[in-house]
Amino acid sequence: MTEEMKQNTEKTLMEELGFTEVEIARRRAFLELGDDDIQELLSINKLAKEYADPVIEAFYKHLLSFEETRVFFQDPGLLERVKRAQKAYFSRLTQGDYDNTYIEDRLNIGAVHERIGLPVKAYLGMYNFYLRNVANHLYEAYKDMPGKALRVYLSLLKVVFLDIGLAIDTYINRREQLIGKQREAMRELPTPVLQVRDRLLIIPVVGILDSYRARQLTEQLLDSISATRAKAVLMDITGVPIVDSKVANHLLQTVSAARLMGATVILTGLSPQIAQALVAIGVDLSHVRTTVDLQSGLEEAERLLGYRLVPVGERTGTNQAHV
Amino acid sequence: MAEVVRVAIRSDADIVMVRQQARVLAKELGFSASDLTLIATALSELARNIVDYAGQGEIILSLINQGGHRGLVIIARDNGPGITDIERAMQDGYSTGKGLGMGLPGTRRLMDEFEISSGMGQGTTVKVTKWAR
Repeated sequence: MTEEMKQNTEKTLMEELGFTEVEIARRRAFLELGDDDIQELLSINKLAKEYADPVIEAFYKHLLSFEETRVFFQDPGLLERVKRAQKAYFSRLTQGDYDNTYIEDRLNIGAVHERIGLPVKAYLGMYNFYLRNVANHLYEAYKDMPGKALRVYLSLLKVVFLDIGLAIDTYINRREQLIGKQREAMRELPTPVLQVRDRLLIIPVVGILDSYRARQLTEQLLDSISATRAKAVLMDITGVPIVDSKVANHLLQTVSAARLMGATVILTGLSPQIAQALVAIGVDLSHVRTTVDLQSGLEEAERLLGYRLVPVGERTGTNQAHV
Repeated sequence: MAEVVRVAIRSDADIVMVRQQARVLAKELGFSASDLTLIATALSELARNIVDYAGQGEIILSLINQGGHRGLVIIARDNGPGITDIERAMQDGYSTGKGLGMGLPGTRRLMDEFEISSGMGQGTTVKVTKWAR
């Protein structure tokens, strides 16, 4: 598993999860993992090496006695490699230096377990099994000094909980990445630019307007303006739930860009609540043409383009007069 | 019903999540439709500041009851670079980024109470409250 781990190591895992020096220090502080604990753990490093083999053997016997964990060990060679890696880790637990490198290692190992699909309950169950075993060994070794056994055990608990937290974070991170990817896929939903009449476009904006979509929207709009030589554009934001200052900024930029292309943008579908919020924030949309709804926007655009909407009867009448 | 919700803010998409959570909480207090929009807008501003300036952080929403007066408290915190000059950051149109510079002063106007603490290298915590009428 060590070889596989190296191959799968993502150098950016620490950054991806936001692990800075400050964050690591905070985690340690919250667990009250201090220098005393490190001294306690270092003091049993020799003992830990002595009980390493029996603990590892018991550990894997337990793992292999359950179908759901046994399935991971079809290959005997793999089992041997994993045992060695595990032994190294248990020994590492009592070697101090719970620094960046240590954290990074733990995160990578957590990621490997997530990738193979080891359930969190198995992860926690095995930590629990390990701690119970070690507790017995400590109890035996320090029969005459029960205080020492307890102190060491409590220090070990802190490091183990630090590690558990890191492992679970890698699991959560993976899920979040997955959700992120799904969101990305949903963002690919196109924002269609529709031609209503000669030189008049409608662009209905639906959903959340983030930077990515706003850029996409601007590009599509400008392309369409150029392709259709549009003079007026109705941008309808009825389907945009919230317009904060950033979204407003995006809209303003799109409007300015369209203006440079010779088209007037009319913003329609601004709800009373959003209008109120924009005023409260202090965003100035006064130099953007806005109308309450799409219908009035359409009327204004037609006026702008010199169209005049005439009822059928009237028009027929005129035609007849000509005939 | 939960009275406190924490939402991790790491990307634009989390902004939607936090708005939805806030909507659920705020509805309990009987806020009007326009108040809900003001709250959602303020949340957007706060969450965007986290994403744009600190990369990541968190927003904690809680319901409070102060002598029969009920309200929604929003705490937005991050461990980002922090704000060196809070006074300037609270001025309209001032931005170190590419924004309109309306985020913080705008948020103050959207909410009833506003507190900010920040310093270079110390991250930023903004606490705002909207009282139910």
